[in-house]
Amino acid sequence: MKYHLITLGCQMNLSDSERVSAVLEAMGYVFTENEEEAILLGILACSVRQKPIDKIYNKIAQWNRWKNSRNLITFVSGCILPDDKEKFLKTFDLIFQMSELAQLPEMIRGYGIVTPAGLKQPTPVMPKNEHITEMWNIKPKYQSTYEAFVPIQNGCDKFCTFCAVPYTRGREVSRPSSEIIDEVRHLVQQGYKSITLLGQNVNSYGLDKEGLEINFAQLLRQVGEFGKASGEEFWVYFTSPHPQDMNREVIEVIASYDCLAKQIHLPMQSGDERVLIKMNRRHSMDKYRRIVADIRELLPDATLFTDIIVGFTAEGEAEFENTVAAMNEFRFNMAYIAMYSPRPGAASYRWENEVSSDDKKDRLHRLSEVMKIHSHSYNQSLVGKTLRVLINGTDRKTGFSTGLTEGKLIVRIDKQDESLMGKIVDVRITSAADFSMSGELVQVLSNQI
Amino acid sequence: MTSIEKEGIKMDDCFYKIIEIRSLTDETFSLILPKARFPFKPGRHISLRIHGNHRSREYSIYSGAFDENLEVLVKEVENGYFTPRLRKLKAGDLLEIHGPFGKFGIDKMTAEAGKFVFIASGTGIAPFRSMIRTYPEINYTLIHGVRESAEAYDREEYAADRYVLCTSRDLKGDYVGRLTGYLKICSFAPETQFYICGNSNMIFDALDILKNKGFERDQIHCEVYF
Repeated sequence: MKYHLITLGCQMNLSDSERVSAVLEAMGYVFTENEEEAILLGILACSVRQKPIDKIYNKIAQWNRWKNSRNLITFVSGCILPDDKEKFLKTFDLIFQMSELAQLPEMIRGYGIVTPAGLKQPTPVMPKNEHITEMWNIKPKYQSTYEAFVPIQNGCDKFCTFCAVPYTRGREVSRPSSEIIDEVRHLVQQGYKSITLLGQNVNSYGLDKEGLEINFAQLLRQVGEFGKASGEEFWVYFTSPHPQDMNREVIEVIASYDCLAKQIHLPMQSGDERVLIKMNRRHSMDKYRRIVADIRELLPDATLFTDIIVGFTAEGEAEFENTVAAMNEFRFNMAYIAMYSPRPGAASYRWENEVSSDDKKDRLHRLSEVMKIHSHSYNQSLVGKTLRVLINGTDRKTGFSTGLTEGKLIVRIDKQDESLMGKIVDVRITSAADFSMSGELVQVLSNQI
Repeated sequence: MTSIEKEGIKMDDCFYKIIEIRSLTDETFSLILPKARFPFKPGRHISLRIHGNHRSREYSIYSGAFDENLEVLVKEVENGYFTPRLRKLKAGDLLEIHGPFGKFGIDKMTAEAGKFVFIASGTGIAPFRSMIRTYPEINYTLIHGVRESAEAYDREEYAADRYVLCTSRDLKGDYVGRLTGYLKICSFAPETQFYICGNSNMIFDALDILKNKGFERDQIHCEVYF
């Protein structure tokens, strides 16, 4: 009994897929890379861009053709827009929300029932997240032995005009802090070195249960206290935060504990006040500037990553230049720059898209060039220094290993050694490139070998 | 899952039966619904969907936090998808409502101590009516920009000395012209907190005017309608 699972999109889906796999394997299914030999075929969907949605339509058309010659069960979950959900109901055997994951075995056993909620009337279209906690209770099948994602929150209440996530994941729900700490503790005891606290808006953590649950800064402090007491070396990251709920207290807590990684991902999306308003980002550039100032003051060695959308409706040349200026001001170590793509379901989909494809490409290119300058300059400043690096790849052919610093900067090492995988080692940086560095191994902690 | 029993149908508590559709102008109406089944701070918005239709839209809550009914203000958009369908609804029809969402608004403690200028274009008045109904003692001035004076929705509810109507297409306003023209000639106390709600172009212009008057960005709070 084999299953094949395709995971599209973000780390949140990746984390969800670990739980889906755990449920299926508890039922006796075995994963196969080869979808042609699976009898259970599933997809965790992503609606952030059109491409993955197109892929789902192609896949299900193919799988439904295979059904002519053999018995198959197909399912889809993840981020699905209401319009696509309507179509998927007709093409997939099962469609469920992640909050219904615990009921997946029952659904598969009762194959033929579209979804447990699907036949009742009336049924809410917007996902309700009240039962997402049941999904979090499922012990995931981690895909790595040294790097793991821990969901702490699900859903989004922000309604950025370019994004449809509130309609696909439902409103923000925080996972109980005791479960989060338990999962982190378990991972550290198993030797995990990189743990990422995941959510659509991690620093809104606890706000949906005000007075009943701790807030994000307090959660980080609990993780930090555990890390301190454990005596282990590991790095805890979080993604994604929203500037609206980011505050100095969070940064102070990160500064207080070694295990809280000195790397901040703070999506800016645009450096222009008007575009931010049009995006409904609900924070000003002044607010963003203050957060960055706090990071620079309290975490002077931290790396700063961001997300930027170029070519959003209402972004003229002057507005784009403000983003370039912001890029020069904040000197990000990494910026994930995307060309604006209207998404069905998002508010901006209904607007006329005023920026041409050529202009978007041009702005992407220009901004990437600015990004490169700052990234290279920072990397260059590290040459000659010795950094702790988590090895996450080795290649026999090239004879190189690769890894990430605590700040998630890529380092290439002229040494290939499988035993280093998942270890944190000292690397002396010898040269810098635009988005990576090269270095030589200094030592491996004796207790890690 | 919490649910309610209504006429033998077990419904999720996100469904609301329309009690009344209150017509305000030829294009604008309010949907009067049962009391909100969730607590909310005035200024927040909700997601609204017509039962049987898979699209939803966000609307600021028009009623006060302690009102007997949840109310939403809607202007029908010609050739729009959603609002013409809302217009066709009748008492007894079902709406799916989720929320409250957002950060826009004022909490009780701030409302008691501050000095506020509310700036709204058209149906952007909705969150301010909610704030004023929730905090009747609040120290506010409401500047409402519309095309014609008939769009001064529920004007009689506001104290005459606190409500300024700006009309751009008739002469019946307290100020004749765009609200941004009125803002330019106004002076405000330095400690004023500004709340702006409406279409993005109005917000951009109002923001520039207030910044030019020397107000800090942190004193200016925006809620864009889209």
